[in-house]
Amino acid sequence: MRLVSAELVESRQILPGQWIQSFDAPEFATGSRAGQFVHVRTGDYSGLILRRPFSINTADAATGIVTLHFRTVGRGTEWLTRAREGDRLDMLGPLGRPFEVDPRSRHLLLIAGGLGMAGIRMLADEAVRDGRQVVILFGAQSAAHVYPSSLLPDEVEYVVATDDGSLGHHGFVTELVTDYEAWADQAFACGPHAMLKRLAALAAGRRERLGVAKLGRKRGGGKQDPLGSAAARRKAFLQVSMEQTMGCAVGACLGCTVIGVEGPQRVCREGPVFAAEEIAWESIA
Amino acid sequence: MKAKKKVVTSADARAARASRPARGIDKPKRTPTVRTIKSAIVPVDRTKAASGGRARVETGGAAGADSGAPVAARPTLAEREALDRIDLSVELAPGRGLRLPNPIMVASGTFGYGVEYGEVVDVQRLGAICCKGTTLRPRAGNPPPRVTETPGGMLNSIGLQNPGVDAVIEKYGPIWQGWKVPVIVNVAGESIEDYVEVARRLDGVPGVAGIELNISCPNVGKGGLQFAIDRDAARAVTAAVRRATDLPLLVKLSPNVADVRPIAKAIEEAGADAITAINTLSGLAVSPDRTRAFLGNTYGGLSGPAIRPVALRIVYEVAQVVSIPIVGIGGVTSLADVLDFLACGAVAVQVGTAIFADPELPVRLADELRAECLRRGFTSYAPLVGTALPRRAGASSAKGAEYRP
Repeated sequence: MRLVSAELVESRQILPGQWIQSFDAPEFATGSRAGQFVHVRTGDYSGLILRRPFSINTADAATGIVTLHFRTVGRGTEWLTRAREGDRLDMLGPLGRPFEVDPRSRHLLLIAGGLGMAGIRMLADEAVRDGRQVVILFGAQSAAHVYPSSLLPDEVEYVVATDDGSLGHHGFVTELVTDYEAWADQAFACGPHAMLKRLAALAAGRRERLGVAKLGRKRGGGKQDPLGSAAARRKAFLQVSMEQTMGCAVGACLGCTVIGVEGPQRVCREGPVFAAEEIAWESIA
Repeated sequence: MKAKKKVVTSADARAARASRPARGIDKPKRTPTVRTIKSAIVPVDRTKAASGGRARVETGGAAGADSGAPVAARPTLAEREALDRIDLSVELAPGRGLRLPNPIMVASGTFGYGVEYGEVVDVQRLGAICCKGTTLRPRAGNPPPRVTETPGGMLNSIGLQNPGVDAVIEKYGPIWQGWKVPVIVNVAGESIEDYVEVARRLDGVPGVAGIELNISCPNVGKGGLQFAIDRDAARAVTAAVRRATDLPLLVKLSPNVADVRPIAKAIEEAGADAITAINTLSGLAVSPDRTRAFLGNTYGGLSGPAIRPVALRIVYEVAQVVSIPIVGIGGVTSLADVLDFLACGAVAVQVGTAIFADPELPVRLADELRAECLRRGFTSYAPLVGTALPRRAGASSAKGAEYRP
């Protein structure tokens, strides 16, 4: 965790209301992992007093460039879109715990809803670099809101679902999951909490649907890892990246909790990535 | 009014004295004097220029610290010696001993247990740390969402999530013991017995420098009315904790009352060593679809610059009726805010919400206060305290002071 003054090198609108900004921040480009986030200080004017958390969208260690992908939802993000090339933004990061990929997983299923792409985008890069096969299932309102495939690595299989059927599958992205759940070794998701809840339900019933019996040695040799540990997450089929309104982002204020099966979990410290088993999904509307 | 006038005139006189050499025919006569004084510091001056240049190169090349901060952080040797001679220490509990190295504290709930910000803040340079509110038994807190930004502030309803006093002592006591910064444990409860029991368990724990009572909690025994808005309850809980422990005792006032002065007076009479003012203001935010309140707990506590005038008003009022030290808190984001609180009678301030945006702020404020004392020729910041207070106690704001018929 460091405080870094990152220079904006490029800012562009990739979709209506959605932006990707590139920052020169070698500290984050080399030291961060997929799933982690940075806490960005907005301009000190007109009463914006909290930082804004953003997933690290991509990180290029060679050039020292990290990108952030966000949607203009309020005054903080609107302020960000007005930042100019050369402006320096105060960022705290990298924060939170990353996705944990089992070293033996060959097939990764990445599921994103809308802006959830920002949460899993870097994992696609890491997986491709490590020689894994990646399928991204992406859900959006309509074709106009679909993340451009040109911004994804060539090696990735990209499957789209739209609510209005204007592109790809007509319906929710969660409906595509059953086609891939037998193929996938692990799944990673980011998006609206309702989508994550549906995915968690699907993941919980996956073993029965596939008729896979718990035979022989379990992954990891049968030792029970404590819930929430990196080892336990590595063995989980589904990991989700959660979001919550956030204060300090270092675990001090306890503002960004979600309800877990073992009590409140801080999204900034225990998360933002959780194994699906850690979350008390009945508490999420 | 008289006190105000005196301060203004002395400042005026100093300003006039300082500006005189610059204007008129005095100038040539004065300049050599200035030069002779400066000549004694010339070699130091040169190092200042050099180190300043180096500092700029470093920040540009490597980490890129925010502009402004390095100016105070890199004084010259002579300046550093002069700065070191300035005594920023303050005694918050005369007779019991709660000496802070400087008057910039971090507020409860915004700094966790002091360890969370350890990677980016040098906690040892803080005046004191008020830890997260601690209760007798573990608490899971309120349902999310728990925080939201509001104009110039934020609403929170964490609901006192904490692992309970025993776990806090076990986990953080040994860490705090190794620190030179005093740690004040913020204590909350639902009954006087709860407060007393927590205080008793904290008594004698190495690493616990004092207790700050959060009395903005519902008093279950009295129909859920907050201790802080009931003078007798505030008096009773303070007195009970006072009997239970010899630890320095601060009591944190709530602003959600009509007239804060009798409550402050009752707390002083009950034996508190110091008063902290203020806790958050009760507030509400509406969900984006406008079908319910935004926060999981409906109501939240408002903090941040938005409440600073309220905090200043309450410190100003309380300072006129109590003689124990007052710790000012509410929307401190700059040295000017610190000086405002001091002028209204606070002897120390707590920084809270602003830490979220700028974790280094409290440490920087201590440096800036030191530099301010040096600039004004003080050896301590005592002359800055209470300068805005009236000589005779005025009417309270509860008497409609804004409206004069």
